[in-house]
Amino acid sequence: MAHETHAKTLPASLGAPAFVDGWKSRALMVGVVFSVIAAGLAFADGSIEHVLRAWVLGLMMTFGLSVGGLALLMVQYCSGGKWGLLLRRPLEAMSRTLPLVFVYWVVVALELKRLYLWAQVSDVSAALKSGFINEIQAHAIEFKRPMLNPGTFVWVSLLCFAIWAFYTWRLNALGLQRDSDSPSRTPYWIKKLENISGPGIVVYSLTMTAAAIYWVMSMDPTWYSSVYGLLFLVGQGYMVLAFSIIVSIGLSKAEPFRTVLRQTEQHDLGKFMFAFVMLNIYLAFGQFLIIWSGNLPEEIPWYLDRIRGHWGVIITLDFMFHWLIPFTLLLSRDIKRNKKRLVRVCQWMIFAKAFDLFWLIEPNYKDAARNLHFSWGILEYAAVPVAMTSFWVAYFCMQLKTRPVVQTNDPHVAEILEPEHVHA
Amino acid sequence: MPPREGTYGLLAEFDTPGDLVRAARQARQDGWRRLDCYTPYPVEEAAEAIGFHRNKVPLVTLVGGLMGLAAMFSLETWISTLAYPLNIGGRPTYSWPAFIVPAYEWTILFAGLSAAFGMLALNGLPALYHPLFNAPNFRDGATTDKFFLCLEALDPKFDLKETKVYLESFQPVSVVEVEY
Repeated sequence: MAHETHAKTLPASLGAPAFVDGWKSRALMVGVVFSVIAAGLAFADGSIEHVLRAWVLGLMMTFGLSVGGLALLMVQYCSGGKWGLLLRRPLEAMSRTLPLVFVYWVVVALELKRLYLWAQVSDVSAALKSGFINEIQAHAIEFKRPMLNPGTFVWVSLLCFAIWAFYTWRLNALGLQRDSDSPSRTPYWIKKLENISGPGIVVYSLTMTAAAIYWVMSMDPTWYSSVYGLLFLVGQGYMVLAFSIIVSIGLSKAEPFRTVLRQTEQHDLGKFMFAFVMLNIYLAFGQFLIIWSGNLPEEIPWYLDRIRGHWGVIITLDFMFHWLIPFTLLLSRDIKRNKKRLVRVCQWMIFAKAFDLFWLIEPNYKDAARNLHFSWGILEYAAVPVAMTSFWVAYFCMQLKTRPVVQTNDPHVAEILEPEHVHA
Repeated sequence: MPPREGTYGLLAEFDTPGDLVRAARQARQDGWRRLDCYTPYPVEEAAEAIGFHRNKVPLVTLVGGLMGLAAMFSLETWISTLAYPLNIGGRPTYSWPAFIVPAYEWTILFAGLSAAFGMLALNGLPALYHPLFNAPNFRDGATTDKFFLCLEALDPKFDLKETKVYLESFQPVSVVEVEY
């Protein structure tokens, strides 16, 4: 008895289970239903203004899940760990959804004039005279013209997409090559992927910051915050982890994830996500505290737009939704170790992230700043992003089916098959 | 109280945590209740195997954390509004956003200290004496690479001869008798 091993063996087929197709058709159905609702709302409202604003929300959600997945893929190549091995293939599939995110972005690039004040105003002095913009906006638009103009917007975004596409292609190709190589070459592959991912994380944080500034922050041309990119970066970690936990627990209903997803790693992922919940509120509150303390006329209106005129209700709910609730729930060890409950928390967190983006995006526009009011249009925020994310999920499921869901050429595979008490 | 004498229990030594967990699980199933596992690092399955129950440390930590939060927040409120009100850039004296960071730090501090001291208070550490250290293999191995299961003499099922045979059925490295 003393020398028996109790290690499990990897199942023969490592492909994604058949029910992933079911996920795909369900996501497609939800996507179609919500597209119809979105169209109906646009008719009721009589304009597509809010469709486009909600479109940016959907773009930021799918961008976060797709390119954020690429970022977490690079992080786990650098950090190592069994959680990384578990998530590797789902994260690769998330990163391969980049084409869809690009299509979503093209719509934004075509409708710049409706979304961004700086694109709308070509003659600053005329707009100032007619009272369309105020003096502060006029100054900011003129001063930031070299950065905030349609040409730069498009070129910077295209450059970012090219860089993300390069890393997606490289990491996905090497991931497959690694599995077809002999196990004796594992150390070479670990080093190789580390060397690509390390600089990749730095490049990613810079390009992602540029994207967040152009796509969201520039909606209000007068305001700036140096922590903005980091806030989106952490927000991506927040929702990417939530989404990958949902995927791995969903996959664990059948082989091969039933064998490889142990409670220990599920618990670890829960703890990791908890760290992102903390970091997220740390940065969000830090930004608020600094701007509140400074109380400068250049910065504080951005918060006043988002607090006054009933927006105070939204920011209070936002605080509860995306920090208080996940924080108190994830403190519990039992919830982190319970599959069903952890999935519920993760779903909630993805909703909370979208709610936070709503609070960031909508008050940028004159009709909504300091004036939260009902219109059929504002309901687009509940329709368009759901449709866009559902289509994204369907695309993700397609990508997930294209390769085995467990990487085998990795020393962690042996460890993950051992009973849980073997390692500290 | 006069010093206790006689047998504290029988100590079985294992080379791997897997063997320990299986033995502990079996012993618990066979009705043993006065038993304990000793490992060089936390083995959660061993704790589950011998029916480890919930303790009050999380509650102590929560209460400590809330006390820290309340203490610091009310201290700041008292200083800023009653004891020494200052006009800082025209802000109201009760400026709660500025109070959050110290209040948060005190929450962490109090929760951390409550967890540490609550754990010590509830688990009976530091102990000046424990009979298991009379066993030389325990002294040498319990903190490095050995895994121990101890069936204690206080258990009604305990019988020096039968229990030794019972433990040997798990094929441990050794079974030794431990004196008080």
